Amino acid sequence: MRVAGVAPILGPARLASWGFSPAERPLIMITLENVTKTYKNSTVALRDANVEIAKGEFVFLVGASGSGKSTFIRLLNKEETPEQGHIYVAGKDIGRLSGWKVPYLRRNIGCIFQDFKLLPTKTVFENVAFALEVIGRPRSVIDSQVPAILDLVGLGHKSDSFPTELSGGEQQRVSVARAFVNRPLILLADEPTGNLDPATSVGIMKLLDRINKTGTTVVMATHDRGIVDTMRRRVIEIDRGSIVRDQARGVYE
Amino acid sequence: MPVKFDYLVRETTSNLGRNVTITLASIMTVAVSLALVGASLMLRSGVENATKRWQGGIEFVVFLRTDATQQQIDSLQNDLDQSPEVAKAVFVDQQQAYSEFKTLFADSPELIDSVTAKDLPPSFRIEPENKDVDAVESLGLTFEGRSGVDQVVFASKTIRLIQQLSSRLTVGIFVIAAFLLGAAGLLILNTIRMAMFARRREIEVMKLVGATNWFIRVPFMLEGLVQGLIGAFVAIGALAAFKPFFQKWLPSAQDIPLVGGFQVSGSEMTVIFITLGIVGIAIGAIGAGIAVSRFLDV
Repeated sequence: MRVAGVAPILGPARLASWGFSPAERPLIMITLENVTKTYKNSTVALRDANVEIAKGEFVFLVGASGSGKSTFIRLLNKEETPEQGHIYVAGKDIGRLSGWKVPYLRRNIGCIFQDFKLLPTKTVFENVAFALEVIGRPRSVIDSQVPAILDLVGLGHKSDSFPTELSGGEQQRVSVARAFVNRPLILLADEPTGNLDPATSVGIMKLLDRINKTGTTVVMATHDRGIVDTMRRRVIEIDRGSIVRDQARGVYE
Repeated sequence: MPVKFDYLVRETTSNLGRNVTITLASIMTVAVSLALVGASLMLRSGVENATKRWQGGIEFVVFLRTDATQQQIDSLQNDLDQSPEVAKAVFVDQQQAYSEFKTLFADSPELIDSVTAKDLPPSFRIEPENKDVDAVESLGLTFEGRSGVDQVVFASKTIRLIQQLSSRLTVGIFVIAAFLLGAAGLLILNTIRMAMFARRREIEVMKLVGATNWFIRVPFMLEGLVQGLIGAFVAIGALAAFKPFFQKWLPSAQDIPLVGGFQVSGSEMTVIFITLGIVGIAIGAIGAGIAVSRFLDV
């Protein structure tokens, strides 16, 4: 499928900017090696997790509330650091990444959340543009990329609206646009349909599926049985911090 | 990067505008404390200028005749160096006396024009071993009436009192100013903390999409810096405006000759103003720096 205005995801220039020579083109996008994460109150959020996710995969993380799905996601963009083990993103050990380089890691990872995290004082256009503006992209890039991505998520006609004037589904589309406008290698989604009704959720899932088909690796934590069972993608089930199931073309249970 | 520049200007001004009252409070505190510091620095350099020849333990001055011969000077120098009662004797020649005269009367150029180096007496400034009033006086009088000596002048009690008073006043004002500057720093810290709180959603999104730490920090740092700098400008403006009034309150030079020397020259004012500017910027930067490093978890 061809998506208007979307550049090839892993072009040589992009890889070079991320520190790879073209020969090192990573096929495995995410690796967790014996990763354990314990919180201060001694809750074990993740215990000895070993996972490999290839470039272009679509992975569901399922499990009860508090099982460790969110921690899994937060570890990947280094919002949390593990006690033990190594995490590789696009071949790089992010545990060895010094603090000032973390922002550059995050430029390659888009994030969407249950609560959208849109800025209420900015319009739809400005919310998406903000993501490019704060990483120093020139105005010309912003003016060409933002309308293209808003068209992609089907909100080209609402670019001057404020988030409060939009439905929940539309707000989540804006947040997807913001996460994807910089063409990340990976899209992390933490319960993106948690606040949406089933019909709207289907729309968001179609959008994520389209993004996945452009080569972006998608990792999505969810409670939504219907979505998991319909999509039939890889399912990783976490139970009290342990990975208890890892199934290709899996179902919720 | 043009985007980055308007971004910085926009963010800094909108932050300053968001908490107008607290921003004003911190600017005023910086201004008041820096005005105090500046006033005491001006007072100190005024007193220093008025009592220039009495600095550093100098208790009396032997003024020579303007026509004293080199031989007379050498012999006096020799005797002073030999004398066990003299701790230090500094010779001030006519050129040095003239340059001191020029700083002293910098505000009266017509007076400087009417005097040349040749009109001013050379002198020895003498620091005796024994600072006791009677001992100083008897030592000084031994030089009176020597060939080439015009007169011996002793540091008066008034001068000592003024010096003491000014140094105590300076210390006192500095202590108060230090407290005020501390308060100003804390106020700036709090203003910036509030600005960060008001923008916590934006900061969260910025971190999420990979804005660099400095990109997030710099607008807040600038905000503190601008507050400190504006405070310093207000203090400098106030000092510059009030200086002429203050000089009008001084008793006239005819009544008390010492007051004639109570001057702060333009270059000294410049140094004081630059100092205030630097201190203002430093306070702003320190307050903002602490706020950014403590409350901005980037």
